[in-house]
Amino acid sequence: MPLTQKNIKNNNLLLDIHNLNVFFNTPEGISHVVKDANFNIKKGACLGVVGESGSGKTQTFFSITGLLANNGYAEGEAFFKNTNLITCDKEKRRGFLGKSIGFIFQDPMTSLTPHLKIGDQLAEIAIYHKKINKNKALERAIEVMDIVKLPSNRDIINSYPHELSGGMKQRIMIAISLMCEPDLIIADEPTTALDVTTQAEILNIFNDLKNNLNIGLVLISHNIGVIAETSNEVLVMKNGQILENGETPEVLTKPKNEYTKHLLSCIPPWIGN
Amino acid sequence: MNKNNAKIVEDYANIKGRSLWVDARRRLFQNKAAVVSLILLFFIAFLSFFGPFFLKFSFSDTDWNSIYYPPSLNNGHFLGTDGNGRDLLVRILYGGRLSLSIGVLATLVSVFIGVIYGTIAGFFGGKLDIFMMRVVEILYAMPYLIFVIILMVVFGRNIYFLFIAIGAVEWLTMARIVRGQTISLKEKEFIETSKALGQSNFMIIWKHIIPNLAGPIIVYITLMVPSVIILESFLSFLGLGVQEPLTSWGVLISEGSREMETAWWLLIFPGLFMTITLASLNFIGDGLRDAIDPKEY
Amino acid sequence: MRITMIKFITKRILIAIPTLLIIVAFSFFMMRIAPGGPFTNERALPPEIENNIKAAYNLDKPVYEQFYIYIKNLTKGDFGPSFKYKDFSVKELILNGLPVSVTLGLSSIVISLFIGSILGIIAAINRNTVFDYSVMGISLLGICVPSFVMAPLLSLFFSLYLGILPTSGWNNGNIMNLILPITALSLPQIAVISRMMRASTIEVLNSNFIRTAKSKGLNSSYIIRRHVIRASILPIIEYLAPASAGLMTGSIIIEQIFGLPGIGRYFVVGALQRDYTLVSGVLILYASLLIFLILITDIIRAILDPRIKI
Repeated sequence: MPLTQKNIKNNNLLLDIHNLNVFFNTPEGISHVVKDANFNIKKGACLGVVGESGSGKTQTFFSITGLLANNGYAEGEAFFKNTNLITCDKEKRRGFLGKSIGFIFQDPMTSLTPHLKIGDQLAEIAIYHKKINKNKALERAIEVMDIVKLPSNRDIINSYPHELSGGMKQRIMIAISLMCEPDLIIADEPTTALDVTTQAEILNIFNDLKNNLNIGLVLISHNIGVIAETSNEVLVMKNGQILENGETPEVLTKPKNEYTKHLLSCIPPWIGN
Repeated sequence: MNKNNAKIVEDYANIKGRSLWVDARRRLFQNKAAVVSLILLFFIAFLSFFGPFFLKFSFSDTDWNSIYYPPSLNNGHFLGTDGNGRDLLVRILYGGRLSLSIGVLATLVSVFIGVIYGTIAGFFGGKLDIFMMRVVEILYAMPYLIFVIILMVVFGRNIYFLFIAIGAVEWLTMARIVRGQTISLKEKEFIETSKALGQSNFMIIWKHIIPNLAGPIIVYITLMVPSVIILESFLSFLGLGVQEPLTSWGVLISEGSREMETAWWLLIFPGLFMTITLASLNFIGDGLRDAIDPKEY
Repeated sequence: MRITMIKFITKRILIAIPTLLIIVAFSFFMMRIAPGGPFTNERALPPEIENNIKAAYNLDKPVYEQFYIYIKNLTKGDFGPSFKYKDFSVKELILNGLPVSVTLGLSSIVISLFIGSILGIIAAINRNTVFDYSVMGISLLGICVPSFVMAPLLSLFFSLYLGILPTSGWNNGNIMNLILPITALSLPQIAVISRMMRASTIEVLNSNFIRTAKSKGLNSSYIIRRHVIRASILPIIEYLAPASAGLMTGSIIIEQIFGLPGIGRYFVVGALQRDYTLVSGVLILYASLLIFLILITDIIRAILDPRIKI
């Protein structure tokens, strides 16, 4: 899809990235981890980002959401709701985070605060952004737990993270990101730490979010099978560069880049799309 | 055939050990604070042991013409004199000999006891381990100074007994660390291999576990020596440690603090020597710990 | 929750009792084997004193009975007569010194915990700034300059040079007399606690669950209040008992330097004069206090960290 000014005003475009570069100040010099990225994300669609470790896929989205480490900085444009997230005021960007943009991290086992109850960790995001009271927030939490197919009773609300399994915790992470009805959810390797059965369930949930709630999704993975199952469009990244960018069926069947071809050759033949 | 295999396993363990040291040494020397501290410490130790030979005063020489002299370059009393006309610098150096020796020797005593205790508890595990660590927990919680004082009171203020008393109290930390390390080493494959090859428990402990403990032991030695020196100084300060005519930094500081209104140098200079030594040991210990087990920050 | 808490406490108390027993046995036997002690015939004592001692210690009875009587007396708070001060019992001497030491000790632990934690947290949040380096520098001083060097130095500066604080004396608990001793006593602990808190907070700040909290768009002060503090304070709670042991040790020195008539001072004098009963009594007192503190620490830790099984 050609990227023009028209598309930015196009209602369908959720996140529009132009010339994004991400750098890190390290003792050995400046490290250029994302090189000139251009892509966009549409409502109700899923963008898959595939690449090996160190390809820059996570840092791209950290830079957009303001989660970069202290020694990192970004240049370029990332338009979301008519705001360039790269250059705008940090407070404004933080206002989007959690409310309109949700982030799901890779390792559910350590991503929840050990000394707070699950209910509190769900409720606090709604209380903070929407200024509602705790009871209303807990009601919303139960709604959201339903969406991620967790039993919506008080048991889980009153538990502590160490009492839940990995799969349950990952669902809670998704639930947290849904609390304020976001427009965009970025999921970084959400199924890598889980077993295959749980993985399938989580991917189903993502498909539901995309189709039923019209949320724009970004799914980052090094597993091309996961990408194939969920994404409408695919980005292939290596060494900070986007090597291939297109609709999933095309990229998978007629890859233009050598690296993509190499990746595809690694998929076991029984995964179909 | 068995002996050959045992040797191969041994060599493997040793090779792994060697490259660890080379790496660690490089990291240590990159740490500026540690290097400076090493130099300072060496300087102080050298001065303490060999310095007195070059100075014209002996540590008990009393010079009734120059009592309470402030530091000056003229009369050779570089750091001043005390109430008996004794040269402060020489006394500080002699004190250094004692404080440093006690520090090192008492630490070695506690290392010895701690390593034996810790390896036995960690290696054999089970009820023996639980019991042994219970005892350590109990003793760990006690204010050590009080214990040492009681021991000194009961058995007299013999300087050799001082080593034993201090060592008897400080071995606890070492025992804990050694036990922890032994437990994690015990789980590693090369121990299982050795067992399968029929090595006796004693040989396993002696040849495989103890050499691999060297790293943490060295780190904790450098961190224990300062606390031993402080313990000895506490005792001497209270009058329960080193006795006349011997002197240590603790004794000097004790005397100095009593006379500080009229002769500030009697407090400041011994205090300075002690503080620099303690700080250096701390930096070296930190540096060694980072060198052997670097963490990202 | 309540029943399990009671079970937890009971279990801990049951472990504490044999510990205390060992300490008591230690002091009991120490007294008996000490040369020049009340139980040898080395000293020629006037007959009245000899009889007093015989009566007080039931020396005519077998050892195990003596031990039993000793423990029985202890539970009643009777530590026996002082070996040096013929008209005083150990209990009276200890009670004399208690107010001083308690004031000193309690103030120090509260101040150390408070100031140490606050400095540590702020240093961790503002890493590698001037504030951080200053805190680290001061804490280094607190660790490397022993209290018996620091205390006279403080005295030198504030009392002799500036003349604003008294050098020594208790003066019935006058605040001015307390400032220097409490400062000198607390400094080493503040040093250790601030370092610990800083390291702990840094580790927490780098953890995954704080990353999650940030991704919720919450602001820094909220995250610190709700997520960071409780997570980083755990190691400090564990340090409470060793900190108290350190303060007990330090108070012995500080009371000596500043001439405060507390338990520590009695202890030192007793040690120098070989007053075995006094010295044993103080040991048992301190040990009981520490064991009690360890119990409290365990309970607080169990409350704060939901992962600990009760």
